[in-house]
Amino acid sequence: MTFPDPVQYAIPLFIIAMVIEMIAIRRGARGAYDWRDTGTSLAMGLGNTLAGAALGGAVVALAFQLWDWRLFTLPLTWWSLALCFVLDDLAYYWFHRSAHRVRWFWASHVIHHSSQHYNLSTALRQTWTGFFSLSFLFRCPLFLLGFHPGLVFFCGGLNLIYQFFIHTESVGRLPRWVEAVMNTPSHHRVHHGTNPAYLDRNYAGVFIVWDRMFGTFVAEDAAEPARYGIVRNLASFNPLWVAVHEWVGIARDLMAARSLRAAWMAMAGPPGWKTGETSDVIRARALVMPPAGQPAE
Amino acid sequence: MVFILSALGVLLVMGLARVMGFAADPVLDEAQARRRAADALAGFRPQACALAGDGRAALVQGDDGAIALVRPLGDRWVVRRLDGAAVSAGDGALLIRPAEPMFPPTRLALGAAAADWARRLGAGA
Repeated sequence: MTFPDPVQYAIPLFIIAMVIEMIAIRRGARGAYDWRDTGTSLAMGLGNTLAGAALGGAVVALAFQLWDWRLFTLPLTWWSLALCFVLDDLAYYWFHRSAHRVRWFWASHVIHHSSQHYNLSTALRQTWTGFFSLSFLFRCPLFLLGFHPGLVFFCGGLNLIYQFFIHTESVGRLPRWVEAVMNTPSHHRVHHGTNPAYLDRNYAGVFIVWDRMFGTFVAEDAAEPARYGIVRNLASFNPLWVAVHEWVGIARDLMAARSLRAAWMAMAGPPGWKTGETSDVIRARALVMPPAGQPAE
Repeated sequence: MVFILSALGVLLVMGLARVMGFAADPVLDEAQARRRAADALAGFRPQACALAGDGRAALVQGDDGAIALVRPLGDRWVVRRLDGAAVSAGDGALLIRPAEPMFPPTRLALGAAAADWARRLGAGA
């Protein structure tokens, strides 16, 4: 049984959608592009495709090995497709949450957040080092449960395509029931925000219900427009530096570590642990010491 | 084949963005520089500010004495607290090299204020 790679088929659609978004912005829709930023984002996307082609075989081999040890043999039918899509999205939530809270995973995921823009091209700013950071481990339970690896990767592709379309400022709020259940442009703008209230929130891929269930949901506040990017925004558009900067940071912190704990925290602690600028610290500091002109809560 | 088409797509979208005018090089005023620094640095309360003559960079000093550099990246801004930066002064300008890989040197033409800010940054004028 072979499954198509839906992302490959969607690439022309991605390009058309970006062109439409740029035209819409020029005609007054909310949003912004910068050709240099977009070039970097798309170069990262291209590199991600190359990295997948080079290293994806090992992940597929691991998936089939785990599937050989499966607990159940699930049929390939409509309900297993639907169930797989939902469970893959749940696995994505935990991958994504870990990717923001554990520096080893963040070193790979930070690439996606390294743009100060939030548009459809930002969606394609993807890591080159996902294999190295072991992000594929989060999907392993699905293979062990008995979902065919091809089905899991197919659902993962659909998930990625869905997420592409929520990377836009040009769409405001969707109908209430959609905002209640689905991840939307509004919810995901929060996720890309560096505002203290928005940091490390809304990890969902497709279904925002995971954030509501696990206590990580924050609604977009019209009075608090998201400031996109990362806590220490990069000062370079160089794709290679974008790809490796956090790994370089980990290496430097490891070399400077004077204890086993410091070395461990440099890799497995939350991003910003060494400088005391974790998202929790920044949020707490903003509550007691808001920017000038705003009252403390 | 898919890779080649994708690479062409990248160039097409980049070029289109450029042609459509998504290529701004904005300038700052002092209020914007202070706000950028306060937004980017948790707990930073901006006080004094020195704006480069071309409005393309600024130094902002916080109430704790720390100094932040605001410099452009495309049509956005990057802010850094200047800890351990190499600073040289001359001809009414400062050249600042933050102690960070891949952070470009930044030249600020500050005119008569250059010597004062060089002193604040611990560099000789």
